[in-house]
Amino acid sequence: MAIKLAAMILAGGKGTRLGALTKKLAKPAVSYGGKYRIIDFPLSNCANSGITHVGVLTQYESSALNSYIGNGKNWGLNGVNCLTSVLSPKQTEQGSNWYRGTADAIYQNLDWLDELDPEYVLILSGDHIYATTFDEMLELHIKNKADCTVAVREVPLAEASRFGICETDERNFIIGFKEKPKQPKGTLASMGIYIFTYKSLKKYLKADFGKEKSDHDFGKDIIPSMIAREKRLLAYRYGGYWKDVGTIASLHQANMDLLLSGDPEIDLYSIQDSAHIYTEDNHCTPQYIGPDAVVRDCLINQGACIKGTVDHCVISSDVVVDEGAECYNTVLMNGCHVRSGAKVYDCLVAPNEAVRKGEIVNETRDGIALYAGGRTVK
Amino acid sequence: MKSVTGIVNFHTAPKALPITKERPLGSTSYLGRYAFCDFALSNLCNSGISQVGLLVKDHLRSILKHLGSMNSWVINTKIGHTHIMYNEPGQRDPRLNSDVNNLLENDWMLYDSASQYFVFVPSHLICAMNLRPYVKAHIKENRSITIIASKQRNLKSSWIGSDVLDFDDKGVLIGSDKNNGQFANPRVVSLDTLIINRTTLVNLLRKFAPLDPKADLFTLIMTAYKEGVVPITVDYFDGFVRAVDSFAHYMDYSLEMLDKHKADQLFNPAWPIYTLTHDTPPALYGEESEVRNSYISNGARVEGKVINSIIARNVHIGKGAVIKNSIIFSSVNINEGAMVENVLIDKYSIVERDHIIKGKAKEPIYVAQGAII
Repeated sequence: MAIKLAAMILAGGKGTRLGALTKKLAKPAVSYGGKYRIIDFPLSNCANSGITHVGVLTQYESSALNSYIGNGKNWGLNGVNCLTSVLSPKQTEQGSNWYRGTADAIYQNLDWLDELDPEYVLILSGDHIYATTFDEMLELHIKNKADCTVAVREVPLAEASRFGICETDERNFIIGFKEKPKQPKGTLASMGIYIFTYKSLKKYLKADFGKEKSDHDFGKDIIPSMIAREKRLLAYRYGGYWKDVGTIASLHQANMDLLLSGDPEIDLYSIQDSAHIYTEDNHCTPQYIGPDAVVRDCLINQGACIKGTVDHCVISSDVVVDEGAECYNTVLMNGCHVRSGAKVYDCLVAPNEAVRKGEIVNETRDGIALYAGGRTVK
Repeated sequence: MKSVTGIVNFHTAPKALPITKERPLGSTSYLGRYAFCDFALSNLCNSGISQVGLLVKDHLRSILKHLGSMNSWVINTKIGHTHIMYNEPGQRDPRLNSDVNNLLENDWMLYDSASQYFVFVPSHLICAMNLRPYVKAHIKENRSITIIASKQRNLKSSWIGSDVLDFDDKGVLIGSDKNNGQFANPRVVSLDTLIINRTTLVNLLRKFAPLDPKADLFTLIMTAYKEGVVPITVDYFDGFVRAVDSFAHYMDYSLEMLDKHKADQLFNPAWPIYTLTHDTPPALYGEESEVRNSYISNGARVEGKVINSIIARNVHIGKGAVIKNSIIFSSVNINEGAMVENVLIDKYSIVERDHIIKGKAKEPIYVAQGAII
């Protein structure tokens, strides 16, 4: 069976800087926007691009993520001629290996890709928030007969050292690439989204596998070695909303971006037609706002019960905010309970936490706090 | 319960409500999130009844739209089946569009099924009912027909059109009467929920259906009972239950759920009510929004004021607009500065900027689907 395009979503990351949120959960499975998990975004983007074959590569704390992905039905990726596979490290004749890097993860699943025999492979990260289709990027890749197309965006110079920085010629071909440079020369950052012509990808992954000194990473190894051999690497400039939520503060900010007062570039309501974001069904009751509640500038999911004050908050299902409780600039993840008299400021409250009666969380308001395990962490 | 087939009966719902002009009550919106038939379908599913037939009377399109892939209410999607039972000859001659004729038209459900028992539940009853103990008692006591009923206090103005049942101290039916508001005292009313042995049902249909081609199932069973063919046992349901019988009651039975204590009687985490979900984003509230004592569905954007109301999916309430004691169905746009009080606004309607529409608490106004006011 030969297909045009297969997508591989790298979802094995730990997300260390998210602290307690990813203690027992892979980063792509972290909840976001009151209703979603982060991985809903790349998976919905695949669905909206008409991609039918998706492999999701999981490793760290994979159980919850694996069952969430299942056969892809939450994103409609279980239709006729569709295939959604969870690809976790496996035991083979050669032994058993963890994924040693992003490139190694794909290398270890070349057998899965060979079965599909795709012409092109789209490689995505499972923990980025953006709503788009990959149609234009693929079109450009084919038109330019590229070996690899890298999605890029401009970033502020101060942040450039966090990214892989590209140097391009006047036709947008990549002529230089440096992963997390200490002194960045430019501001054109790789988003970790690639389209490869499968034949080229396979060749470079195989060559990289045997290298002892390699990190087996796309940014550090594969892309630079392709540039060194003067392969056709194209930069695809993406201008829309895109967030790599690495820290508690950036996850908090990405949630707040969804509010009416937030970032107009990401609006779950206006993207509905072209890039609908799909997610798991749940069977909670309708959202109830109590007689003495104050609700201002919020995004609140079904199943929440708000009897207190919530101002500038993102609130998930089955959250209860008691009478007399107050939450400001806060993300309440699913199943949280803020009891009466409690006050929560500038905080991200982890799933199923209970903020005690009268407890004041992050009173000093000097940064975004995480409330997990019954206490505030900064 | 492999030996049981559930039949959701859309024929027994009250007729001629303004909200049911283009849809049956079974697929009409409730609390902005559900359709009435979600309760029947969820009760069957939660009771472990996987074989389900939907005895559809009319407005099939509306029902199919709500059912989607029909997998939302089955546990095992291979073992469980939801079948549409539709009476085509009945569409040509509405006088013959009865549940009995629909059953006869779709009698393969009776003959092909391995089920020994059939449970009929009405499509519009609001309740969380575990059918297992009733079926268990029906089988254990070797009954032919069980009617599940409920003791109700106010028959003067509610349960109009329902059957009031009389029975002896063993629960065996001895008579019935239609409620037209003539009963001053609390009485036991039929919930139109029946458990019938398959053989009994087949025999009754064969013997009595030809006698009156317009008879409904309850009438047919009562005829058989009166002729001494089959005894009927009455069993009690003492949980929370509502049957909408008028537009005013639709408003009352919806808005009363704003009382959380009442809602808790209906919604129990151990007995989930399933519905078709739509992948709509969470509800979005503006900086000037003011919302109190209301149910707000996902996909709603509230920038104005909402008090004691129910707002369904994809509704937009503009800045400065005020909604009070009202129910707004899905995809309605209430523009800036509009005032809506004691009103039900049906789907796809638009209330123009600064427009005022006010009903009375006892006489709410109905705004039809797609209206621009």
